[in-house]
Amino acid sequence: MDAAFTYAPLIALFPLASFVIALAFGKYLPTRGALPGIVATGASLLVSVWVAAAVWQGHVHHEVLYTWIAGEDVVSLEFGILLDPLSALMLVVVSLISFLVHVFSLGYMNAEGETGLPRYYAELGLFSFSMLAFVYADNLLMAFIFFELVGVCSYLLIGFWFRDGAPASAQKKAFLVTRFGDYFFLIGVVGILATFGTTTFVGSEGFPQLAEAAIAGGETFWGIDASQWVTLLGLLVLGGVIGKSAQFPLHTWLPDAMEGPTTVSALIHAATMVAAGVYLVARMFGFYAVSPTALAIIAFVGAFTALFAATMGVVKDDIKQVLAYSTISQYGYMMLGLGVGGYVAAVFHLMNHAFFKALLFLGAGSVIVAMHHKQNMWEMGGLKEHLPVTYWTFLAGSLALAGIVPFSGFWSKDEVLFEALLLGAEAPIFIAAYAMALAAVFLTGFYTFRMVALTFHGEARTDDAATPHGVGWSIKFPLVVLGVLATVAGLINMKPVAVVADLDILYLETWLDAGFETTAYGTYTTLVTEVAGFSYADIGPLLPAIIALVLAVAGAALGYRTYAVAEPTEPVKRLGGAYDLVRANYYQDEFQVWLAEGFTARLARAADSFDQIVIDGTVNGISTVSLRAGSRVRRLQRGIVTNYAALMAASIVALLLLFAVYGGWF
Amino acid sequence: MAAPMEAYLLLSAALFCVGLFGVLTRRNALMFLISVELMLNAANINLVAFSLYHGNLTGQTFALFVIALAAAEVAIGLGIIMVLNRQYDDVDVTRAATMRW
Repeated sequence: MDAAFTYAPLIALFPLASFVIALAFGKYLPTRGALPGIVATGASLLVSVWVAAAVWQGHVHHEVLYTWIAGEDVVSLEFGILLDPLSALMLVVVSLISFLVHVFSLGYMNAEGETGLPRYYAELGLFSFSMLAFVYADNLLMAFIFFELVGVCSYLLIGFWFRDGAPASAQKKAFLVTRFGDYFFLIGVVGILATFGTTTFVGSEGFPQLAEAAIAGGETFWGIDASQWVTLLGLLVLGGVIGKSAQFPLHTWLPDAMEGPTTVSALIHAATMVAAGVYLVARMFGFYAVSPTALAIIAFVGAFTALFAATMGVVKDDIKQVLAYSTISQYGYMMLGLGVGGYVAAVFHLMNHAFFKALLFLGAGSVIVAMHHKQNMWEMGGLKEHLPVTYWTFLAGSLALAGIVPFSGFWSKDEVLFEALLLGAEAPIFIAAYAMALAAVFLTGFYTFRMVALTFHGEARTDDAATPHGVGWSIKFPLVVLGVLATVAGLINMKPVAVVADLDILYLETWLDAGFETTAYGTYTTLVTEVAGFSYADIGPLLPAIIALVLAVAGAALGYRTYAVAEPTEPVKRLGGAYDLVRANYYQDEFQVWLAEGFTARLARAADSFDQIVIDGTVNGISTVSLRAGSRVRRLQRGIVTNYAALMAASIVALLLLFAVYGGWF
Repeated sequence: MAAPMEAYLLLSAALFCVGLFGVLTRRNALMFLISVELMLNAANINLVAFSLYHGNLTGQTFALFVIALAAAEVAIGLGIIMVLNRQYDDVDVTRAATMRW
């Protein structure tokens, strides 16, 4: 076994230690717990890189660390560690973003003299711990536990300024909406455990493998055909994914989660929480790959969410709100990628998105610091001159988000779209998903450059924008690191270039094709084509890439031309009713509130009345009879011994008479 | 065979009824105890009489047991009466009526 794997559990345990330190001693530390957090996540990053290096050499690792409940001939519940190309990649990404967010917090939280900093750093440490442990979880139950812990941490961090009304209500909303999805996830976990007797991800005893064998063997579970049963279980688990990754219809919590500190938004959107959902689908992709129905649902939820969220991003005034909707939209792309069987494309986009979205959020945080905590883009303008580092890095992130060559987002988004097109050419229904995603490309370019133009270009529209606050090294350093990554990360899997120039440069694909055979990309491709029955057309990648690029550039140019002027107006407002509808987020919040108050609460009240009146009424009625009878009968017991004796004598006489009459003595 | 069986049974029944009457009418705890003794002895007469009638000694043996039991019962009964007297300065059984609902 490689030495790196011996130390791998520490990747998650370092942030846990920083959580304990910040919680117990944060008050007495000079930076209120930032330093232990930075050191811990930095150490996690080093170990993650070490593990990734070992994985690169072709080693993989799966070990059960702790048996929670040992079962004889029945299921055992275990905690284990699984290090394969996917988890090693994700560990590096998560620990890197977490490290940079900790550094950035020095400038964003400490320098602003926030109170409650030990609590902030403790929660940040716990958040990193939960996510890292979730990433290397070797079974679905452990994944579920840490998935929930990630949800708890995001609840705590979104409501960091809980004394204000809005963060307190946003944190509750985030928790409840994601819990709603997790409820289905829990049923799915229990279902998988009951069906296959294991929740391990990998190996011949792993549940995806058993599911495939069950379908191949034509088994039935509780009278339901194996393939339908697997689809059902997959969709139940997908409930948790839709909640966490903010996919339609459970996306409403994410824009509200912007009430948390911007550093937290960066962490939630890029590396933890929201990424957890998509990562889970990638982690158990072998399970979904055998079910064409589940894949199609994932693809359509993703494509629809990508377009739906992009339209809302167009009309937002708050810089963080624009980024929030772009996150929802981008995770939609990843779901689409997974749904059409493009496992590499989706993981690629997950990684690139982590870099550029963390960059954009941290850049927005830098802008917010400079703007004395104003977030409305209409109050900004002309910040380019004052914040050169922020501007250039933010621009790199925006180009990546918009999907413009050669920035990272272009390569991965293009690959997702390409996979969707290849499938769509053979199965026309997927063309609809492709079209939605393609329309979202244009909108993404538009709202991204609307944001850049309104924030950085034109002329300062307020005094705050004219005299911005400077930002320190702790803000600039993470921006530069992420700016470089957002620019170059896409080069590891340049599919159009590789195919056209016939070069062997698909490094990510090669990377994900190694490791355990059951979780390798090649195996997934076989499953998707043979078991799920998907077939892909043979189309060159160059033309689709050009179409996507032209749309992205057109959107970006339109956004830039419209808003990068001295006195920008809002031409979108001329859309009238449509503008109002989008501006109100399609009344999704109102709809969900109605669903909760108008429907669910009424149903619950009706059920409550039924319980109170009918069920309790029956039970209480019966008990009232005994109660009344008892209170009458107890009057016999008067405490006078003579009465008892008389009663006994009378009873015996009565009994004798009874025997006499019925026994026929007379 | 001096007396017929009916005579024993009648004696026993009469003695039992005297005891029962005492229990039902008296309020003095000592009289209570004496009445219970009478009822026990009525049962003893029955045991001995049937033992004689069947020529089986088991009944007589049980009569001895009942006598020993009665002695024990009297000991406890007198104890209770002592406590009663100490508590209420009286041995009236209707006074001790607090141990109820």
